[in-house]
Amino acid sequence: MRASFGLVLLCALALAAACHSRAPAEFPHAPHMLQRCGGPGQPECLSCTNCHSLDPAGQIATARTSCLRCHDGGERALLAARGLDDPESRIARTIRFSHARHLGLPELKGQCTPCHAGLVGSDARRFPPMSQCLQCHEHKAQWDRIECAPCHARADLEKLMPQSFLRHGPGFDRRHGTLARQNGPTCSQCHSQAQCDDCHDVSQDLTLAERRPEQVLRELIHERNFVDRHSIEARSRPARCMSCHTVDTCDACHLAHGVSGNGAQSANPHPPGWIGANTRSRSFHGRQARRDIVACAGCHEQGPATNCIRCHSVGAFGGNPHPNGWKSARSEGTEMCRYCHGG
Amino acid sequence: VRRPAAAALLIGAGALSGPARAQPVIDRELDAYRLNVRSETHIRLYERSLLPGPAGAIVRSHRLLPIYEYASLRADDLDLPWRQDSLDVELRAWGNTTLGELEADRRIDGDLQTASVRYRQDLSWVRIGRQHFAGGAARYARFDGAAAGIGSELGLGAEAYGGLLVLPRWSANGYHQLGSAADTLLRNPEAVPEPDRADHWLAGGRISYASDWLDAGLSFHEQHERLGLTRRNLGADASFDGWDPVSFGGSAILDLDATDLADAHVWAEASPLPRLDVSVHYEHAQPALFLSRQSVLSVFSTDRYDELGVLAGYRAGARWRLEGGGFGQAFSDGRHGGRGELSARVSVDRADNTVLRVAYVRVAEPNNGYHSIRDSLRQRLQSDLVATAEAYVYLYDDPILGQSSSLVGAGTLEWWLEPQLSVLGGASLAHSPYALADAQAIVRVVYDFWREGAPR
Repeated sequence: MRASFGLVLLCALALAAACHSRAPAEFPHAPHMLQRCGGPGQPECLSCTNCHSLDPAGQIATARTSCLRCHDGGERALLAARGLDDPESRIARTIRFSHARHLGLPELKGQCTPCHAGLVGSDARRFPPMSQCLQCHEHKAQWDRIECAPCHARADLEKLMPQSFLRHGPGFDRRHGTLARQNGPTCSQCHSQAQCDDCHDVSQDLTLAERRPEQVLRELIHERNFVDRHSIEARSRPARCMSCHTVDTCDACHLAHGVSGNGAQSANPHPPGWIGANTRSRSFHGRQARRDIVACAGCHEQGPATNCIRCHSVGAFGGNPHPNGWKSARSEGTEMCRYCHGG
Repeated sequence: VRRPAAAALLIGAGALSGPARAQPVIDRELDAYRLNVRSETHIRLYERSLLPGPAGAIVRSHRLLPIYEYASLRADDLDLPWRQDSLDVELRAWGNTTLGELEADRRIDGDLQTASVRYRQDLSWVRIGRQHFAGGAARYARFDGAAAGIGSELGLGAEAYGGLLVLPRWSANGYHQLGSAADTLLRNPEAVPEPDRADHWLAGGRISYASDWLDAGLSFHEQHERLGLTRRNLGADASFDGWDPVSFGGSAILDLDATDLADAHVWAEASPLPRLDVSVHYEHAQPALFLSRQSVLSVFSTDRYDELGVLAGYRAGARWRLEGGGFGQAFSDGRHGGRGELSARVSVDRADNTVLRVAYVRVAEPNNGYHSIRDSLRQRLQSDLVATAEAYVYLYDDPILGQSSSLVGAGTLEWWLEPQLSVLGGASLAHSPYALADAQAIVRVVYDFWREGAPR
């Protein structure tokens, strides 16, 4: 099967190579804006407005025919050659933005470059980051009031991945719970409680990965065939499963498939000597229980019928099961304590 | 736009808000609101054993056709007679029926996941219904009840919540015993006393302070079952964001019954370069304290583990994104484990029509571990047609049921009939320790309706 591993790797490399060869070019602003101009046989000096203008709705329009003043081949051929068949950006469609109003602001003086600075550079960003918008006092105030909708269509908010502010970068998953508690109103601009339930509600049979099979570019909890390796994942970060699952979740499934200590037909998965042939045997079940008690709970009864009590109740031969350092604020009179401590 | 029905829903919440004060005049010309109605229908086709039998034994295959329906409604910023944009409503439920050769009797199932109404006024809010409270001492708690919060211009805030537990499920007969899979497998259900839901309750709260550079909170959570205390936690959390480009944060949960630290997490995040994000994490956990304090097993262990690691993401140009990281775990008995991952994602064209991702993961724990590679491709074929393909391979350090690997291939094709309506078809084929060949197919229909008012 290691051949399969290599095969998948080779596929990835081949796809990457193929993609690289097909990669279209960005629109080359730099040579257009910085070219020599104005001489005999050369076009006039270019500025933003040579190609871009305001349409009647106050939005920026791109006059593609302006390309044909210098380039042959027709607009479609030219755009296709540059990989710009669909130059309208997905991002641009999600912003409520009036170029006309902004160009009329006294701070901008009708200039494009305060927002689109660096457009002619080699690594030009076509759209300014949101941080550019927030440099304006008005938008900063809206940001402080947690008002996204004036600029973003709310239907889009759930689908947008934050690019600058609120960017869910590496490690976000690990701290999202705390951040959600601290910044609930901000989170709720995009996310509903039901979206939390997508992952955390274990009463539903379908995992998020099963409900969203098209999201192949994301890391989702419980990806395909998770059951194969669930014990590895559970032991890698003990108890993390319990962020969503109760231990009953483990036992319910184990019981259903005959690998639970609670099942009548269950097979014993423990190796010989697990308990010990007699009271003097050097058993290791106790050591394993100390190490990973949650794994024990995944199969074993946790109430008065647990098999631990048979040996470890007060007066029985199993001895005191409480490890060093264990303590509880409860008295021995509580019902759970009485399972072992009698009464 | 007024919504009398929405107003009727909040009679109770309105009463909670106290006497109506003089409010700004409602602007009838402009109104911001958001309405989302969503339906997801999943039709899945299996021809396989549902899962292996005892000790991995091969069991008879079944032909099954499970059908799932998820329905949700979200309406935000609705108006009340005395206040604009003050009401949010959220509903979500799922249902399932399974056609085919199902041995168990359970053919219809479903649950209400969220059903809540929230009233907002200035910096205060009240929410009633089925909801959850997450973060801090609560971790993640679902309940039927009420929650409320109040804030101040000074940054001080307080939240409180309380109600009856939702999980284990109380909406279906017998669900409160072991969960969906085991309900039908209880050998002697009559021997198990019928619990009283009123015994299963929770309550908690949080006080907080927020400023431009600091968010901090102290929280408390208490949860009970029939026999008594399940959890009694004190939580603390803080995020410090006042020293650009580095931010810090942390959270901790103290189990008050054991007077020991159940869980702690400290992180730092920085952007040393404009396109580079790095975060460092330290976590500590005592797994026995994640168990209910009513579990006999919870008194058998005080072992703990610590985890330290780093994650990084680099955006190389507008199209490449590289991410990677690694974590090491140290268990209190001297054993070690580790986890590492590396991924590259490239958008081949500016419009994201073709996107490729390759990821490698290595996980090692004291008993076993695996390597995995996952290749994913998303291709927009037309403006309304998107295809995906992916392949996984897992190589296990120690064979599972004699198999040292799993291999999965899958693909989907999604067609957007209308902006609100899409149909997805998908199929997967897997070879794993539990199945020589596991084939599945899915059809999913999504209807996603949005309507929103113009912002003021």
